[in-house]
Formats: sequence, C-alpha cells, structure tokens
Amino acid sequence: MSRQRMTLLLADDDHTIVDSLAPFLERAGFKVLVVSNGAAALEKVQSHHPDLIVLDVLMPRMDGRETLRRLRHANVWTPTILLTQVGEASERALALEEGADDYLNKPFDPHELLARVRAVLRRARPGERSLSAAWLLTADDLVLDRRARRASLKGNSLELTPKALAVLEYLMTHPDEVVSRERLLNAVWGWEYPAGTRTVDTRMAELRRALDDDPASPYYIETISGEGYRFIPSVHGEG
Amino acid sequence: MALPLFSGALVSILAQGFFQPVPVLVFKIDVGMVAFIAGLIITLFLLSFYAGGLLVERRSQHMLERSLKEAESGRRRFLRRLDHEIKNPLTGLRAALVNVQEARGTDERQRASNNASRAVDRLSRLLADLRKLSDLEERSLENLPVNVPELLQDMVDAARSIPAYGDREVNLLISRVPSPFPTVRGDRDLLGVAMYNLVENALKFTSENESVEVRALEDGRTIVVEVADSGVGIPAEDLSNIFEELYRGSNARGVDGSGLGLALVRRIVALHGGEIDVRSRQEEPRGTVFTVRLPVSKL
Repeated sequence: MSRQRMTLLLADDDHTIVDSLAPFLERAGFKVLVVSNGAAALEKVQSHHPDLIVLDVLMPRMDGRETLRRLRHANVWTPTILLTQVGEASERALALEEGADDYLNKPFDPHELLARVRAVLRRARPGERSLSAAWLLTADDLVLDRRARRASLKGNSLELTPKALAVLEYLMTHPDEVVSRERLLNAVWGWEYPAGTRTVDTRMAELRRALDDDPASPYYIETISGEGYRFIPSVHGEG
Repeated sequence: MALPLFSGALVSILAQGFFQPVPVLVFKIDVGMVAFIAGLIITLFLLSFYAGGLLVERRSQHMLERSLKEAESGRRRFLRRLDHEIKNPLTGLRAALVNVQEARGTDERQRASNNASRAVDRLSRLLADLRKLSDLEERSLENLPVNVPELLQDMVDAARSIPAYGDREVNLLISRVPSPFPTVRGDRDLLGVAMYNLVENALKFTSENESVEVRALEDGRTIVVEVADSGVGIPAEDLSNIFEELYRGSNARGVDGSGLGLALVRRIVALHGGEIDVRSRQEEPRGTVFTVRLPVSKL
C-alpha cells in the first residue's frame, strides 16, 4: 500500500501557491491533482477518488468549508486538511463541525504541510469516519464531550481551563502521534508565542494534574523528549 | 437710617387691615393678552432650549469630527508605516530571487536563498504580530488567577533561552514578604506575551556589560511589574509614541522586530484593566524603565 503512489487533491485558487506546492508534493512522492474552486474539487473527488484533500477555505464559487460539508454529507470520508487563514478558536470549532482531519494556518512552511499530509494519511482508515469528525471521544476511563466542552475521568467531571481542554482534544483526535509543541501552538492557540514551548508545557502540566497522570510513567500522555507529546491509549469516537 | 423703611413697612402692615387698596396704577389685561404673553414666554423658553441644544450638538459634532479625523490620520500613519515595513524585506526578497536565478555556483545560490529566507521570516513575523493585534480585539480572554512571579520567571527563562541572550544576566526581584504574592486575574498566555516582549526588548537594547532587571511589587490593590535596563535610553521625543503600532524610535531603526511589540503589550495590559508607563534617560545614570500596573484579583 505504501509502495503505491498516493493521490492528493490540492484545491486553492491562488496559482502561485499551487504552482509551487504541487511540484514540491510530487517530489515527495505523491501524485497531485490541482483544482481552483470547491465545485471542481467535488467533481475531482468523484472522478479520481484521491487519498487526501488539501482544501483552502477562501475560494470562489464554493468555499472550502461548504465543499467539505457537502463531501461529509454525502458520506465521503476522504481525509481532509483545511487551510484556514484565521486561527481563532471559533474557526477551528467550525473546521471540526465540518469534519476536517487537520488544519493549517497560512502562511505555512511547505514542509509543515508535508508532515501534516503524512500524519493524516498514516492515521486514516479508508472509508471510515475519522476521530476528528466524532463528537464523543473515549479512551479507557477518559471521556471527552467536544460539543459540551467537558471531559470526565471515571465518571468524574474534570476541571480544566478551555486551553487545556483544547490541548486534550487535539491529542485525543491525534492518538499515537508525536505532536510537537509548535504543532499544538498552531492548532490550539492559533498564535506563535515567543515563549511558546513553555506556554504549552504549563497547560500540559495542568492537564496531567487533572488526569492524575505521572509524567515519569504516564498512562495517557507521554513526553517524547525533544519532540513533543503523544497520547498513548487508543481512542474510540462516536457521533 | 433705616427708620423710613421700618415705619413704611409698619404702616403698610397696619393699613392692610383697615383700608381697601387705593388704585394708583391699573393694568387691564384681557384673556387674549394673557394667551399672547404665555405664548411669548413659552416660545422664548423653547428657543433658549433649542439654542442650547444646538450648541451642545455643535460641540459634540465637533468632537466627533475631531476624533474621526484623528482616527483617520492614525490609520493613514499606520498604512504608511506598514508600507515601509513591507517594502524593505520585499526589496531584499526580490534581490535575493534574482541572485538565486543568476547564481554562478552553489555558494552564491546558498547565500541568496538564505537571504530570501531571512526576508520571508521578517515578513512572517510582521504578519503574525499584526494578526495578534487584530485577534486581541475579538478573542475571548481567559479570566483565571495568574501567578505573576512564576510567570515572570518563565518569561525571563524563555528570553534567556534565545541563543543571542544565553549568557546574559536578568535580575529578577520579587517581594517575598508577606507571602504569598497576590494573583492577577486574566489570561496567562497573553500576560506572558506582554512580559516576554518587555524583557526581550530590554535585552535587545542593552549590551553584555549593561544590566536588565525585572521587579515585582504589590500594595494590596495593584501589582507593579518593572522591567528596567541600563541601556542607551529612548530619546525624549520618541517616548510618547513608542506604544504606537509600527512606530520606530530613532534607536529602534534597523533593529530586528515587527515594530508591534510595545503596541501589543499596551493592548494586553489595557485588556487586563492595567496601565503601562515608561521613563527613560539618555544621560548618566541612563536607562529605561517600563512600569506595568495590574489590579490585584479580588478573592
């Protein structure tokens, strides 16, 4: 399966972006299809069945958000990375509502996109609904209700700040993946912080306290030295 | 001297009981006249009211116009500065791209692409800070107790973890008695950005043998954080402008940075109900002190 060349569909109306990204992704071993609006993306998904879609949000005719909504509505679960230009939390909640598997803020480094593409493909179970589109996530005794913004451990509600909850959400939707601090900052905070890594570590400490998770012998969240964090148990998604 | 007055008053009181009043001067007023006079009085009254209202309206109109004009000139100033901040890295990027295309060897090409990356980094930083500024107006702030000494320690460590400042000392002084130090209510991440920017600025504008000091004090109502340095100081004519977006004082030209750092600090402090001040001297004993005052959180 990994021998076979995977097909990516790249949908963005900015030619300078796709003209540079497409050859870059092709050099990385992918077959790349390019479209410049959402309607064309829908057609290409039906005719070519790509393995992954990279979808810009702001596009003429049909924007990325609407495109994704229609795809999911039609029960098409092709993994999708949304390129959003806004890092606000509400925007990310929307991305979730539409069932994006991951999102990346513009401007991004192409290597970062490649890393995202690979991570999402590794996680993807073809044809299946992904964890990113599930409202209720369960990992052993830990339950996260994304709609109600609530987490509980062994039935006891956890007292978490919204940021810590968002960190937990990102980790649980990306289980068994080494998530760097920069990645968390980009996805959860939406900002680049000068003292970013510490900002992440502070929330992680809060999360671990709430989960009663010992960093030295963790059950839920493991620190990968010099790389980031990994959510250990397998996660089950519903709804 | 007042005798005639007293006696007159006495006579008038006594006379009232005994005599009918004697008509000396008689006004005959009919109903029409009463209506006319009443109308006149009401009209005068309304007129004075109207004129007063006009005056107030004119004044508020004037004030509105002035603040609109100020906002407009502020916007123009901002655009002019933005234009300038983008122009330089973009020029660098163009030149670097030409060099990449025309490079005659790997070394030349490598150098050109390094320069291109640097220009891109500068533009990215500018954009990121612009986003932060506009985000601040919309995002919801966390409202939780923040441990200021811990936050300051984190931010000082973070600033010193930048390779360029690795061997620099930052003196952190926090009053320990009585303990514990009171908390501030707010958004830890944002307050961190503010404190970090101040500390990093202090390091940026001082050299190795100059000192940087961060102090925190409290008086029960206010937490005062001072970030002080013994650097070159800020010229007096720049002091009132340095919190403006993209303003660059004469000392800060050619220094790395988006030009939005202090504007961000001021906004974050204001969002927490606090204030920021600066004082600076360019003659000995020279240096700059930024003072942030934040309200202590109520229990």
